[in-house]
Amino acid sequence: MTSPHPSPITARVVVSRVAASTLGGYAFCWGLSTLSMSSLVALGMDFDEAYTLVMLIVFLVFLTAFCWAFAARSLRAVWLVLAGGGGAMTVAAWLLTRSLV
Amino acid sequence: MPVGLPMNERLLLGIALAVTITGLCWLALSLDAHWRQVRGPQRLKPANVKLLRALGAAALALSLGICLRVDHPSMASLVWVMALAASAMIVAFTLSWRPRWLAPLVIWIRPG
Amino acid sequence: MFSSFRHSMTWLHTWFGLVLGYVLVVVFFFGSLSVFDREIDRWAIPSSRFEAQPMPSFDRLLEPAFRSILPDEAEYEAADALVTQPLPPREQLEPEEWWAYTTHRDPVLGIGAGFGLPHPKDPEAHNHVHGSMTIDPRSGKVIPSDQLALGSGFFYPLHYSLHIEWLGLGYWIVGLAALVMLAALVSGVVMHRKVFRELFRFRPQKRTQRSALDLHNLTGIVALPFHFMFALSGLVIFSGIYLPVADTMLKPLHDAHEKEEEAQTGLPHDAAGVPAKLVSVDAMVAEAQRRWAARDMAGDVGFLVVNHVDDANLTVSVYRAGTDRIASVGEGVHFKGTTGEVLHEDPPQTQVSSVNEFVTGLHLQHFKHWLLRWFYFVGGLAGCACIATGFIFFVEKRKRQHAASGAGGSRWVDALAVATVTGMVVATLAMLVANRLLSEDLAGRDGWEKTAFWGTWLLAFFHAALRTTPMREARRSPAWSEQCALIAVLAVCAVLLNWISTGDHLLRTIGAGYWPVAGIDLTLLVGAVMAALTARRLWSSTPRQIAIDARGAAYE
Repeated sequence: MTSPHPSPITARVVVSRVAASTLGGYAFCWGLSTLSMSSLVALGMDFDEAYTLVMLIVFLVFLTAFCWAFAARSLRAVWLVLAGGGGAMTVAAWLLTRSLV
Repeated sequence: MPVGLPMNERLLLGIALAVTITGLCWLALSLDAHWRQVRGPQRLKPANVKLLRALGAAALALSLGICLRVDHPSMASLVWVMALAASAMIVAFTLSWRPRWLAPLVIWIRPG
Repeated sequence: MFSSFRHSMTWLHTWFGLVLGYVLVVVFFFGSLSVFDREIDRWAIPSSRFEAQPMPSFDRLLEPAFRSILPDEAEYEAADALVTQPLPPREQLEPEEWWAYTTHRDPVLGIGAGFGLPHPKDPEAHNHVHGSMTIDPRSGKVIPSDQLALGSGFFYPLHYSLHIEWLGLGYWIVGLAALVMLAALVSGVVMHRKVFRELFRFRPQKRTQRSALDLHNLTGIVALPFHFMFALSGLVIFSGIYLPVADTMLKPLHDAHEKEEEAQTGLPHDAAGVPAKLVSVDAMVAEAQRRWAARDMAGDVGFLVVNHVDDANLTVSVYRAGTDRIASVGEGVHFKGTTGEVLHEDPPQTQVSSVNEFVTGLHLQHFKHWLLRWFYFVGGLAGCACIATGFIFFVEKRKRQHAASGAGGSRWVDALAVATVTGMVVATLAMLVANRLLSEDLAGRDGWEKTAFWGTWLLAFFHAALRTTPMREARRSPAWSEQCALIAVLAVCAVLLNWISTGDHLLRTIGAGYWPVAGIDLTLLVGAVMAALTARRLWSSTPRQIAIDARGAAYE
């Protein structure tokens, strides 16, 4: 992830990276947790088990997303994966939940 | 001071702590900078570096074993990890202020 | 944005560490105090300085106490918004649940009740107003609510919520700080390629920038698993707040699961609406203890819950105190309240549940292990030292160029650091002193103690701001040594005032083996000595330090 010509560290870039790491990371974790919990329930796991298991892991995922938001070269990719991916997973989870009950 | 524990359990934990400090001391002294703090400009032979590290590791394994004898494994593992942290700080601060106090632990290593 | 992975991690560590460091050092310090929260309670409430008691008789002592609990006034007022018709008077609200909680460290007993709200706007919501009480389990006598339990009632909630209740903002700030802590640890390791070499390296004789960095690295690495697990477990414990998925998007799954559980365990979720009487709970407790002993885990009652009070669906749940293992409470036995028969016994935990119990249990510390507790205390203070030396390093690295250019950055980072680090300790000690100075019968005593705490902290902040002028010439602010000296004085005062106001001096408490109070007094004295030595060193080393710093700077 080295970048020989990094963009200058302006206020706008900083705000965007910080927002991506916190808000984007949060969206990603929301989507991932709801999708994995409903998927595990669909696969037959008890809801409480699925909930507990996912909550044990999700903050490590947040940590990874958070660091990646700064380490990644392309800010656009970060927003796409974190916010975009988070949104997509949330929608998928919502659809899956509706089909389960 | 583990108040409320039977005497032999208190003693065992005390021994575990002492063994941990000794083990970390050996590991620290296998590093050149700290070796020189304790033994001056004498060089440490590569064979002795390996020996100190092996001894250090063995001591840490021993202290884990002692911890497991005293408590439930879930508790013993935490006690051991925290003992490592506390012992490392004790060794570090001794090296900062009174490095010669650690000399007896390596007195058996002949100058090389 | 960055030229390399290491560069990005260095930036993250520096700037997030700086901004959230002020919150983190507060969380770590009051978290360390919370390890001994019950002991601090004993020190603060002299009438509770007796030995820890087992859970008393429900039938003789607890039931009358429960029936005397009233809903909390503030919650009652706020509940007006949750109902469609005017609320009945506070004393007439019906209780729906009772709970009692005891620990091996607590002489007094915490009990509470949940009162149902009639005609709720949203029947699916929790719809409870709560009340709580602390009682002496030997007599049932109530400890007045304005006798503030400084440890469990003030320092402990401060560490996880900063006492910022509005919109639960305090929880979110602490949560963000915990996440940043994890990121700071990871990025810190990335920044230091030779982690093992720095494990034992502290060179106090070198210039401040170097020795501060040494200590920062050392305290960070030496307790790395501790710092990491505490931040992570804290997030897991409050995961319901941070990711409230079960109450929102996944509510259908959650509700379906609750219905399944109700069918499997026979524990009714809702009340029947038919009044009924509770039979002897003491007999139920005895049966629970018999069952635990039969499973080779004899133990004390840690937690007792009564659901659907005075209703036909009455249930009583008895949980075992987890003193001998990392898990908090467990092995619940559930009884039908109207007959005393066992409805359900909690099955052995699944793998996932056990891991969760371990992770949350290592943070919540219900276990009985004094050496481990002291280790935790030292680890927490190491975390504070790590953050504080981080501030010092940040300032030392930049103060010369800031002084030269007239920029105020490092000067205000430094002032804020004094205000936070030494300031919070000064405020804590001021609260202990106020606790001993105020009369026992003073009404609203707890309000005065809190004012002493926050007021002193505010004064410490002003002091730090006023004394920061020498930083304009890159010289150390005297606020550090002055507040350290104040810490030493206040700590000794607290010990003396304990003696004067209660007669419990160290010879007496150590002689009687009453370690909760003796331990606090001893720790205060040790802290006073360390603060005094630090104050002296900071004050007298200034000319020499300038020379060393100047020499060091010349080599940059």
